[in-house]
Amino acid sequence: MKFFTSFRKKSPWILHYNAGSCNGCDIEILAALGPKFDLERFGVINTGNPKQSDIFLVTGPVTYRSRERLVELYSQIPEPKVVIAVGSCTTTGGVFRGMYNVEDGIDQYIPVDVYVPGCASTPQLIIDAIVKALEILENKSKEIEKPFKLFGSVETIGNKLSRLNMAKRVKHD
Amino acid sequence: MLLTLILLPIAAAFLILFSSKYIQYFLSVAVLASGSYYSILLFTSAENVSFYLSSFFNTVIIAADIVLLLYFLYQGKKYNSLKVIVLAAVQLLLFLYIEHVSAGHSAQVVVDGITKFTIEYDTSSGHSAEIAVDELSRFMFLIINIVGGIIVLYSVRYMEDETATPRKKQLFIAAMFLFLSVMNTLVCANSLMLFFFLFEMTTLASYLLIAFRNDEVSRTNALRALWMNQIGGVVILLGVLVAVLGFGTVMFDTLLQHSGGVLFLSVALLSMAALVKGASIPFDGWLLGAMVAPTPVSAMLHSATMVKIAPYLILKLAPALGATLLGGVLSITGGLVFVTASYLALSRFVFKEILGYSTVALLGLMMALAAIGTKESMMLAMVLMGFHALSKALLFLAAGVLEKQYHLKSIEEMSALVHRAPKTVGYILLGFVSLTLPPFGLFMGKLFAITSVASLLRERPLLLIVLVSMIIGSALLVLLYFKVSSALLSNPSDTLSAEEERIPYGFSLPLILLSVLIVGTGAGFIVIQHDALLALLALPLIFVFVLPWIMRGMERYDRTEPYHCGEKEPFDTALIYYEPTIRVKQMIYWSFTLLFAAVAVVGALS
Amino acid sequence: MIWIWIAFAPILGGLVYGGERVLRARMQRRQGPPFLQPFYDMFKLLDKRTLIVHAPHALLAVAHFFALWFSVAAIFLGWNLLYIVFLHLFAQIVLILAGYSVRSAYSHLGANRELLMLVAYEPILILVAVGFYLVSGSFDIAQIVRGGGYLAQMPLLFIALLMIVPIKVKKSPFDVGEAHQEIVGGVEIEYSGMFYEFLYMARFLEYIFIYSFVFIFAGVSYALGAALVAGVFLLVNLVDNATARVHTMHMVKIIYAVAMSLAIANILWIVL
Repeated sequence: MKFFTSFRKKSPWILHYNAGSCNGCDIEILAALGPKFDLERFGVINTGNPKQSDIFLVTGPVTYRSRERLVELYSQIPEPKVVIAVGSCTTTGGVFRGMYNVEDGIDQYIPVDVYVPGCASTPQLIIDAIVKALEILENKSKEIEKPFKLFGSVETIGNKLSRLNMAKRVKHD
Repeated sequence: MLLTLILLPIAAAFLILFSSKYIQYFLSVAVLASGSYYSILLFTSAENVSFYLSSFFNTVIIAADIVLLLYFLYQGKKYNSLKVIVLAAVQLLLFLYIEHVSAGHSAQVVVDGITKFTIEYDTSSGHSAEIAVDELSRFMFLIINIVGGIIVLYSVRYMEDETATPRKKQLFIAAMFLFLSVMNTLVCANSLMLFFFLFEMTTLASYLLIAFRNDEVSRTNALRALWMNQIGGVVILLGVLVAVLGFGTVMFDTLLQHSGGVLFLSVALLSMAALVKGASIPFDGWLLGAMVAPTPVSAMLHSATMVKIAPYLILKLAPALGATLLGGVLSITGGLVFVTASYLALSRFVFKEILGYSTVALLGLMMALAAIGTKESMMLAMVLMGFHALSKALLFLAAGVLEKQYHLKSIEEMSALVHRAPKTVGYILLGFVSLTLPPFGLFMGKLFAITSVASLLRERPLLLIVLVSMIIGSALLVLLYFKVSSALLSNPSDTLSAEEERIPYGFSLPLILLSVLIVGTGAGFIVIQHDALLALLALPLIFVFVLPWIMRGMERYDRTEPYHCGEKEPFDTALIYYEPTIRVKQMIYWSFTLLFAAVAVVGALS
Repeated sequence: MIWIWIAFAPILGGLVYGGERVLRARMQRRQGPPFLQPFYDMFKLLDKRTLIVHAPHALLAVAHFFALWFSVAAIFLGWNLLYIVFLHLFAQIVLILAGYSVRSAYSHLGANRELLMLVAYEPILILVAVGFYLVSGSFDIAQIVRGGGYLAQMPLLFIALLMIVPIKVKKSPFDVGEAHQEIVGGVEIEYSGMFYEFLYMARFLEYIFIYSFVFIFAGVSYALGAALVAGVFLLVNLVDNATARVHTMHMVKIIYAVAMSLAIANILWIVL
């Protein structure tokens, strides 16, 4: 409904995930949430829980081991959702680009809506990105968004839509 | 009618020895039906009946009593248990002495060569009947025959899966029937000697049925149950001795008409027997040990009927307790047992032991209420007794199903049980909820008990201890039951298929009967309160009935995995236990032993 | 009139919660979210796709909300205090069962903690009710608010109640049940969209529930009641900003050692 849709941008709750970052960007995100920059004035809550989040805030170049979690968390966020890649590593791989254990940015795996440059990114930029993301969020539909890689299946089991295997299970040796 | 209640189970017990499986079912259903019918009829007739026993019967009972005590002596010797031997010998001596004193019509107590007082033992004038049915006994008939009958019906099916010879199985069911008859007689015994005999009979039943599986553990636990209950027997005999010496009577009603003198000592000794039978701490060991017995035994003896002798006895003595110090001490003991047993139960992981401890706790609560001795609190004790019998029977029978169908005993093995056995878990949950939450009877009983005790606080400030322990104990029981349910309930997504659960009819019929009774009596109890607000307490329950309807509308929502921090492999939390340190535990046991002794001391002094 | 209050109780609670978020922000020298933020959140949650684990789990949250609403309604209608406490117990147990009904570690941990919280505050609430009964001669709130002088007669019980307010509104030092940094919200974790909204609104009702207990301490004087609630509200938020979370068992021990003794001492004082 149009009425409810207009409230999407007034209450963005974020899920912050570190996909192998050096913690530089994470610190900046925390700074943005803290008293000085006070992200909460936009209604932002750092929920730490994908099921109640609207904005997926990812830092880090996606190390090989973290890619499953990235996709799992992404598929547990209910639509509509936006993804923000915070920092150079997250957008392109940054200084780690081309390394054997790094996946060169999260857009290899999941669709990204806003890219934030910087190593480390700054709180001002992060706030800007979130405000930008809210515009995108408002125009999104509630259709299921699928990850690019490691997508398992969304199937209907007895009239119920099961997202249990949306993120593919990878066999480890 | 009374005779039917007593004789019918005996007849059934006799017939069971010669009957096949189907006739066993038939017999147990017949006894359940007629027992419930007659006990309801008796309950509604509301007339007090009494019977005199002929001297022949009295002699038979005396003879049987001696044989029984000699049997205990023999068992003690056979299994080399010093405690059993000593206690049996003490009982035998006391018993013979009392018979000697009371049969001699008069006895003189001579101290230092001077006749202190002479006792007239009146046999003719004003002699009251040995068997008297009053309101309390009629209420007990209801519990014994309905709940007990259902449990016997269950035990027929239970025995099918037991590894024992057919003869032994028949004996088991026969013993259950006999036990019904014993209990029926016990609750209308007015003669203390008859009461003692039946008390010892229940001890015997308990001993034999705990030892039914005849292995090392059962044997040890059975012997422990035996000697602990024998302490109860000894204190009863001492109480009777005091009554005979003091007032020259062995009848409950004549004893309670007296006042002053050694009345309190006698009453104190008798109520100590109640504490033993009710497995109050420090005697909780025997009830917990008794949990090795087959489940119907635990349900019948160790929760629904036999241990109810404890609050029954206190209720019987309550007219003498009233606002006295002795009543105060007893109710405080009961209240403290309620809290402590609930607390100790938090460290247990065997499902039946948890139920056992919570039985000890609730018996403590009932005794506390009974010992307060106002009309209202006594009524509430009775109400609690009834509802507790129903709920605990349901829980034990469900535990039996888990044991037989799924081979589960410890709650550690029960994780995600609701996925495998939704129906059984449903019964267990109903049992838990009916013990703790509105609008079920047991909860209502506790609610009124709080109100009732609070209204007495100004006159009897000591009752504050009872009130506080009642409140904390209830909270701890909530913690206990729902902590256990955490193991049962955790269910994966409902898009994963599970096997359908089938409970055999022999198991499900008693369970359904008990559930219906719990809901029905709970509703009935609310209706008779004539309190519209109270009925509204049941409103939240509507959700339970509406839930399945809404459930169909739930198909449009997406199903997803629980959150595991993005991991794909699920991980579970461990169950939580709270255990006191050994030092604290010892302290608890010592203080309760002192409290137990204090009952006697207070009785002697007042 | 009273029915309007009951109908708008969640909204009232939402306003309290919104005010609290602003107040806390100001205490930390932040600007804070808009005053109506809780309602924005609610509307947004309605617009989300809803993910559930299984149907009973989701529905128990709805049941929790309505049971809680019912107990708040009972307060407004001036019912028996004991009934109200136990209706609230029912609502809590529904929530705890919901927490246990999914195979999720955080949900279970949260439910365990909710249980321990229940064990901590339930006896105090009942003792407060008993205190009211002893002073006013009735358990009915309608009767209690006609009297007065409760603060003078039960000051220690009031302190005991103050100690359990942070447990109920999930504020430090007793916010163990939610503990976002530790167990990610506890029992709320598996909810989203529609069904999380019910839990979110249930939180508003908890505010109304526990502050009503503070309110009736004023008895007949509604102005004093409002002042008490405002004072307690400020104090609780101040303490929330100034303290760290304690361990769950410590919380139970603190409540039993301090609040319980205060309550018992007060009742003894009334009785003797």
